[in-house]
Amino acid sequence: MLLLLPAALFLGFIYLLPVIDLIRLSVSGPTVSTFFERVFSVPLYWDSLVRTMQISLTVATLCLLLGYPTALLIRRTSGMTRTLITAGVILPYFIAVLIRTYAWMVLLGRNGPVNKILTGLGLLDEPAQLLFNRGTVLLGMTAVLLPIMVLSIYSSVSRLDAALPRAAQASGAGPIATFWRILLPLTLPGMGAGFLLVFVAALGFFITPTLLGGPGDQMFAMHIVQQADFISSEGFLQALAVVLLVITLLFVGLAGHALGFEFIWGGGKLADGQARAGTSRKAAAPHWRLLTGMADRIVWPILRLLSRLHPAWGRWTVIILGGGVIATLILPILVVMVISFSSASYLTFPPPGFSLRWYEKFFSDPNWMEAFWKSSVIAAASAVISVVLGASAAMGIVRSNIRGKSVIMLLLVSPAIVPPVVLGLSLYSLFLRFDLVGTIWGLASAHAIGGIPLVVIIVSAALQGVDKRLEQAAAVHGASPLTVFRTVTLPAIAPGLAAAAFFAFLHSFDELVLSLFLSSAQLKTLPLMLWADINYQLNPVLAVVSSLEVLLVVIGLALAGPVLARSRAGA
Amino acid sequence: MATELASRAEQPAQAKQSGAARAQGSIGSGIVLRDVVKNYGDFRAADRISLDILPGEFITLLGPSGSGKTTLLNLLAGFQTLDGGQMHVDGAPIDHVPTHKRGFGMVFQSYALFPNMTVTQNVAFPLRMAGFDRTTAERRVAETLEIMRLSEHAAKTPSQMSGGQQQRVAIARAIVRRPKIVLMDEPLSALDRRLRESIQIEIRELHRAIGSTILFVTHDQGEALTMSDRIAVMDAGRIVQIGTPVDIYRHPQNRFVAAFVGESNLIEAEIIQRRGSMMALRNRAGYVFEADAGHGVEVGRATVLVRPERIAIADAPGPNTMPVTVTSALFLGEVLRIEARTDSGETLLIRCTDTAERALPAVEDRLHVSWGAADCWVLS
Repeated sequence: MLLLLPAALFLGFIYLLPVIDLIRLSVSGPTVSTFFERVFSVPLYWDSLVRTMQISLTVATLCLLLGYPTALLIRRTSGMTRTLITAGVILPYFIAVLIRTYAWMVLLGRNGPVNKILTGLGLLDEPAQLLFNRGTVLLGMTAVLLPIMVLSIYSSVSRLDAALPRAAQASGAGPIATFWRILLPLTLPGMGAGFLLVFVAALGFFITPTLLGGPGDQMFAMHIVQQADFISSEGFLQALAVVLLVITLLFVGLAGHALGFEFIWGGGKLADGQARAGTSRKAAAPHWRLLTGMADRIVWPILRLLSRLHPAWGRWTVIILGGGVIATLILPILVVMVISFSSASYLTFPPPGFSLRWYEKFFSDPNWMEAFWKSSVIAAASAVISVVLGASAAMGIVRSNIRGKSVIMLLLVSPAIVPPVVLGLSLYSLFLRFDLVGTIWGLASAHAIGGIPLVVIIVSAALQGVDKRLEQAAAVHGASPLTVFRTVTLPAIAPGLAAAAFFAFLHSFDELVLSLFLSSAQLKTLPLMLWADINYQLNPVLAVVSSLEVLLVVIGLALAGPVLARSRAGA
Repeated sequence: MATELASRAEQPAQAKQSGAARAQGSIGSGIVLRDVVKNYGDFRAADRISLDILPGEFITLLGPSGSGKTTLLNLLAGFQTLDGGQMHVDGAPIDHVPTHKRGFGMVFQSYALFPNMTVTQNVAFPLRMAGFDRTTAERRVAETLEIMRLSEHAAKTPSQMSGGQQQRVAIARAIVRRPKIVLMDEPLSALDRRLRESIQIEIRELHRAIGSTILFVTHDQGEALTMSDRIAVMDAGRIVQIGTPVDIYRHPQNRFVAAFVGESNLIEAEIIQRRGSMMALRNRAGYVFEADAGHGVEVGRATVLVRPERIAIADAPGPNTMPVTVTSALFLGEVLRIEARTDSGETLLIRCTDTAERALPAVEDRLHVSWGAADCWVLS
């Protein structure tokens, strides 16, 4: 219980308090609902809200349709191919959203490879403006969020007993019947979790629609950032944020009711029993049975017709769709890496020649270097805070017998689902009051709000992988609790701790939205510099920074990969 | 239970005595494998296997892990493709028939019950896939559940049942379509001993009732002996011996089969004389005994199998006995398990039934053992 206290105090002060304050401000108008009435009566905001929902729903649906074949593709391959495909999904997952969005801008830009190919093929007479429309917003957001969906579905696909599809086949079910009757129903929870995680993340999206969208693609979070520039809008601004927050929480709440809240952190063992109870309850509910029955009656006859096709059709569908997804995830990053070695002074692909001039420019520019070091220091400090507080909280949850573990876990992990824009706005007033704006420790603490959930999830998974009997064995043979921890527990979770520290570091290193609110002109982080430059000039220095970030992630994953594989095997 | 099913089956199978007689009136299929080859990279999991399975036969593939028995089963099921050779069922090649069109039943080691379906839905699944009409399907499912004594569990989901019950659901699903061939992949390995024995008997009776050809895979030699019409012993991707349980147990053709099936004493001995069909041998301790010289061993040395229960023991020396020293003695209930050392240092394993007269020997006790010509088997 004591172990939970530091994290509780920290999050209470820097996360819950500001959010409560945000809500207080939003109802501080002449009447409680004044600001909210304005939000819903101004067409600008109402339209944007509807648009945000539409975009998020489309993106989540696209992710589901494309993510499922990709997860199946991972399951069907083995050995080196599987490792490469998995890397193709996981690598982008850890690369900053800002950088991945930038990669799409490069790819689709006037001198980018897509335009080059289209004009080369004679489909276009001259390079066209492919960016800044609804299509690119959807494309960019889908690409950015796809890894979440793939990993979510894959985690439920990989948990299936490999004998189940075989049993279905041996019982006379063809590939399509096996898919519809066995695979799909059993992976429904993973699909649901993936869909909601993507949908909720999309609701609060700010970076990608800002960079890839046109004037008609304003999403709700973008209005909040724009309004934040006007001091006069205090109260109304908070009301906008509260609307976004409430909608997000509403969907998370609905999803949690149907799937169990464990979907947020990938359904750890902690709540396995409860999750199962949830599904059986759902299966028994009449409306659920009616729904699946109806789906079966409508879809099954269609699928039965499809089953006349040669079985190779199904296999190729998976390979082509899945392969396409992997290519879409990896190609933009590769293009950016190639361009970072360009000799041209503007963005063009293929580069006219290769040189290291942009690397030289990056390493010799004091502004970039200062931003790089400040980001590193902030990220390191943030990782320390996250690991110390998060790991002790994870220990408190896993290794004690307190009640309501799921509720505590939910609270600890909840910052991960609050839209960063809302969090940034609520923190801003707190930071003003305590004069933390633009300080290294202020930013490090703010970034730790998102770092703690990562650490809690990873470390509690690692702790659950530690056989309790090992600890008991040590205790029986005379080790004190502290010695048990030092000699048995710590070595076992050390890889998990290292991975957690790396991801917390990365989270802070990549963080942009909170920094936009909480930084000052004197304290520029690397993502802030990138952000400023992307809006101002698209030069290859950005590609250099992106390539270095990719390198950082690759090294980190290469170090953490075996560790994570081992902890998964142990669990 | 068995008669109940037999009377209900559309094509009642006759009770069968021997493998040959079984072919008549059974609904099972004959399976012929010719030079079947399967490679995993450099590893040859099935090495030119040929096997003739009679219609309605209960045949067991027995072997240690990695011997190729599961590979063979997977090839038959169609989960893997042949790298060479042919497979025929009732005279027709099946190499290019996909799994779901082969129409077999299969029981999996992990049961592989569909967790999203109730017991009824699981058992109905093969009928549904085969396009049975609703009333026939419902009747069949109810019958099958009754035969497997599962009727009261019909509405449960697999996770609400014990291992033994899940196993019976898996069997029900495999037989509900009255398949001509049922494949069983170590179906009892996850159960405890007592349950395993009772389900062994159940499967045996079920086989007699439905008459399907059953191909059963196990690494448990006791299970193989109890259940099979014939056993195919496998090692390193080949069938090393095939025969009835009695044949395999009494007349193994090589050291591997002798050691893998049952407990055995493999005694190195010298052939000292041949008289017609019999020969006299002497082991290293100087004990002279007779054995059937039936197959091919000439002069010189031979390896002789003597099963532990065929060794007779006496407390006092008699005509043609060999003295041994007890090194361990265990009381196992109905039998005593004694390990003893001959004076020349060989170890002998002896099993004898527990009788009121005999006390449990102590370590270092001297015993006098003997065996007759009918108790040993000369390995080729």
